Amino acid sequence: MHPALGVLAEAARRPNDHARRWKAKTGRKVVGSFPMHFPAEVVHASGAMPVVLQESDDPITVGGAGMYPFFCGYTRSVVDQASKGDFDYVDAIMFGDHCVQILSAADIVRNRLPETQVGFYQLIPSLRDKWSLENSMRALDRLIEGIEETLGVTITEDDLRASIREFNENRQLIRRLYELRRTGAIRLRASHMQHIVKSSMVMDKAEHNALLRQIVDSVEPGADTLGGGLPVYVSGHLCQAPKPAVLDMIEDCGAVIVDDDLYHGYRYISMDMDETGDPVKAIANWYLNRNFGAPCPTRLDPGIDWDGWLLKAVDACGAKGMIVLMAKFCEPHYFYYPRIRKAFQVADVPHLLIETEHEMLGLENMRTKVETFVEVARRRGTPQRIAS
Amino acid sequence: MNIAVADQQIKRANRLKATKLNNRMVTDYWDDLFKAKEEGRLVCWYEGVAINPILQAADIAWCHGEAMSALLAARNEEGPAQEAAEEFGYDRELCSYARTHIGCGVLTQNSTPESVSDLPRDSEVRKGLAARVPAPDMIISAYPFCSTGQQWDDMLYRQFGKKVPIFNISLPWIWGNKPSAKYMSGPEYREAVAFLVQQLRECITFIEGITGKKFDHDRLREIMGYIKRAAEIKVEAMRLCKAKPSPASFFEWTNSIAPVNFLPGGPDIVNYFEIKKAEIQERVDNGVGSAPVEKYRLFWDGIMNWNKIGWLADKFAGYDSCIVAGRYTHMGFWHETEVIDLDDPLDGMAQNYLTCPISISAPQMVDKIVEHCEYYELDGLILHGARTCRAFSYPQFLIAEGVGKRLGLPVAMFEGDMVDESFYKDELVNSRVEAMLEQIEARRARSM
Amino acid sequence: MAAHVLGIDFGSTTGKSVILDADGNVKAACVSSKGAVSDEGVKASLQDALDEAGIAVADIVRCVSTGYGRRMLDIADRSITEITCHARGAVHMVPEARMVIDIGGQDSKVIGIDPNGLVAQFAMNDRCAAGTGKFLEVLARAVNVDLDRMGEVALSAREKIQITSMCATFAETEVISLLAEGVAKPEILGGVHAAIAKRTIGLVARVGKREPAVMTGGVARNIAAVRHIEEALDIKLIIPPDPQIAGALGAALFALDDYRNEGASRRKADEKVEVDLEAEAAAMQNCAPACASKIAAALAIH
Repeated sequence: MHPALGVLAEAARRPNDHARRWKAKTGRKVVGSFPMHFPAEVVHASGAMPVVLQESDDPITVGGAGMYPFFCGYTRSVVDQASKGDFDYVDAIMFGDHCVQILSAADIVRNRLPETQVGFYQLIPSLRDKWSLENSMRALDRLIEGIEETLGVTITEDDLRASIREFNENRQLIRRLYELRRTGAIRLRASHMQHIVKSSMVMDKAEHNALLRQIVDSVEPGADTLGGGLPVYVSGHLCQAPKPAVLDMIEDCGAVIVDDDLYHGYRYISMDMDETGDPVKAIANWYLNRNFGAPCPTRLDPGIDWDGWLLKAVDACGAKGMIVLMAKFCEPHYFYYPRIRKAFQVADVPHLLIETEHEMLGLENMRTKVETFVEVARRRGTPQRIAS
Repeated sequence: MNIAVADQQIKRANRLKATKLNNRMVTDYWDDLFKAKEEGRLVCWYEGVAINPILQAADIAWCHGEAMSALLAARNEEGPAQEAAEEFGYDRELCSYARTHIGCGVLTQNSTPESVSDLPRDSEVRKGLAARVPAPDMIISAYPFCSTGQQWDDMLYRQFGKKVPIFNISLPWIWGNKPSAKYMSGPEYREAVAFLVQQLRECITFIEGITGKKFDHDRLREIMGYIKRAAEIKVEAMRLCKAKPSPASFFEWTNSIAPVNFLPGGPDIVNYFEIKKAEIQERVDNGVGSAPVEKYRLFWDGIMNWNKIGWLADKFAGYDSCIVAGRYTHMGFWHETEVIDLDDPLDGMAQNYLTCPISISAPQMVDKIVEHCEYYELDGLILHGARTCRAFSYPQFLIAEGVGKRLGLPVAMFEGDMVDESFYKDELVNSRVEAMLEQIEARRARSM
Repeated sequence: MAAHVLGIDFGSTTGKSVILDADGNVKAACVSSKGAVSDEGVKASLQDALDEAGIAVADIVRCVSTGYGRRMLDIADRSITEITCHARGAVHMVPEARMVIDIGGQDSKVIGIDPNGLVAQFAMNDRCAAGTGKFLEVLARAVNVDLDRMGEVALSAREKIQITSMCATFAETEVISLLAEGVAKPEILGGVHAAIAKRTIGLVARVGKREPAVMTGGVARNIAAVRHIEEALDIKLIIPPDPQIAGALGAALFALDDYRNEGASRRKADEKVEVDLEAEAAAMQNCAPACASKIAAALAIH
């Protein structure tokens, strides 16, 4: 493992510890947020470090007294961490995403952290209405006001532009790694790719960019990354990182993950923001256009079909099949999945559903499924090319 | 401790006679809807807040998704629909309203060739009540708080091959970032109301585009006049239940949701609540309670278990208890009548939508529940955690803590569901409720 | 003695062994239940199978394992998932099969079969016991009816009742309260079987309903379960005579393939290149005893 990757992996494994140390070292503030589309650039522009609060591996204990067990693992874990004081380093929490379970968790977190400002700036979920842009810009204006007021700072347009540039560079560097991996120039296990993206959510961007540049520069072209493995695409997990053990298990069963639309993956870095012009408008447009980078089932966007988009994505990266990782109780995913399944059945592209839980159970059951899937997909050979 | 648990099976709740009238009105409404296509009327499907007055004013027939699912559950016809949904691939942990509605309302429509082929030819579903709902000519999505509700409409839109026009109204969630944010006041609230009113006006333009007719604002004012009056009488009648014993129960109020949720706004609904209020007044005058013996007065938090209304009413009567009020019945369905200005009703309508029992976040919600518990002098809280309605069940730990701490009330929490009875565990409910009644008894013994 | 191959299905509640001769004839098929995932269960069924076939350990030239404990058996030359093995075994039993519904002790799966008799699609339950043999077992115990008799008792139900809980634990409390209310056992068991049938709808939907359909696994021997699943899916199920051994049979067939392929590749090699005949002969000799000695070692550990 490249030493820089080791640093990123460590931050990804223990994000709260990492952010706490960063705060102690720099004396600067930390603002937490929830997935999925929150523009952390705005927080960054204030001088504070934005951190996407992560699901933790710890079992749910005290948090169980705040939330029913039939909520997704991410939200239960966040409530649990807040209840246990794990977010003690967070100066404020700002979020804007519309998913019933995230909103639910946020309300409980607010209750559990009475000293912390928890601000909600709702990003309109319906992306193509006449008023979508205007309403998004209004929400962003309120968010900027909220940060300024809570942290006692002023955010200028130039601050916003500088943050946008820094974030764009970060996304471009990670996309470069994706590209290198797809073309076979670099060997990165899926769990390593996750460390890279996840650490980007919880680290100082400048520091993250510097480490990414080291990794990109160290790439020696020409290596065969597949090593005889079956190339597969992984889709799902819209908020929480799949457990690295699950990704490793998939790759140990004879598959190689070559691309994904995971939140802790390509979804997070798929789109850049315009660096010129009105920065608030640029951020709003980025938000409204994120569905073109990777469709999100919680957004209303009549023109976009996640199912059809996935078929094209699988085809484009040369994968021989797709594994869907679905977080138990994720309603947005539950709603969309039957359409995805149908599309893949009709196109005769092998796909496999794996439901995951916070309490990681049944790895053996998953392994049986993945082994069979690899056998079937291998035999099926190249799927029919999908007409674009 | 002397708790009348042993004979709980024998006692039955005293049902209000007015309920029969309500049931007749509901049946008439559905029969009328089933004929809409033959009569050449356009049909709109919608979920969430009660936008039906706007549709009624435009002469459009309407089908409310939750109402449809609840109707099926109340008549024990939900099973095949839910199986059809599961067969299509919808997970059992997904909102059972949505599953039931999509399962029967859509998969059985002959107008959806995409999905009908998935059902067995002689499927009961095709013959059942659900299959009689006319397919939509438009979908209007206006769901408070719950992203699942909004996505449900999106899935319907896709299920119908994107051929049915859809209008999306985005309802802001009432969160309150600043101390100035209070129940129904403060700049954040006013901004949310203004945004919703703007979308309602756009929605009216959308409807005009479909009907090809100018929207009749006078008609809307007239309809809202009836609804406002009916809701006022409803609230007055509810407040009569401060009497001990309480003349009506939460279950009677769940039976009265239809007239203020999806029945047409007109003299009938006003008449209905007048009759109901008179009957309740008569009970108050004669000291008749909803429970034959009322030893405990309770609050019900959570959405209704539609397949078990009558059964639960008897169960609690059997415990010598009356559930007097509930978040679902008492904090929604045109509950804030004063703000409805009949000259320009959209602002007041928007305010009622934005303060419904899932659209306000926990701090304001807990305050409101405390008000109800104090007004009705309640002894305990029942928290029915509907497993697949996360929007309704999420704040229940906060309610149990908040209300429990402020008023010192014991609580009983149990899991259930609105229309999927496989999540309901009777034995668990019994032991939780009995434990709570024992706590109430213990508190009383201490204070004696 | 002639060469034989062995397939072992190391399941969650039973061990199954199938022995085939070199022509693919079934010489023995044994099931033994010795509690959950135990070595002993597998050994017992293996010994029974050897006895039944009337052969010695040394006669086994190839062994393939499957089932949850498949990787725990060092006696196997290789392991293959139970999905692939069940499909292979079921298709061998019923060549026209296009869908296999397998309900075992702790898992249930539905496998779509392509025209070549291979796995096309599959779906498997997750960690929950709902819709598995375990569910029936728990509820048979709750009503105090012998597991083997419960299907027969359920079929005598005159009335349909519903067990709404899908969870085995909660269904148990539900059943206990039904008993307390005086509901008769046949009616309760009818409801239990209807509940298990309901669970298969979702799995079948995931792979898409196909016919002819075969049902395998221990639950296939339960006539009431079969009837209720047929009703729930609106389908006719074919039940092979020995539905429990499908997985072990599939494994044995793969072992036979391996044995034959190896011979074939050797013959091919003979034609093409000059080989060290001595080494080849040694290899031929070694391979069978190697497998046999591993099996013997396994049987010896008691």
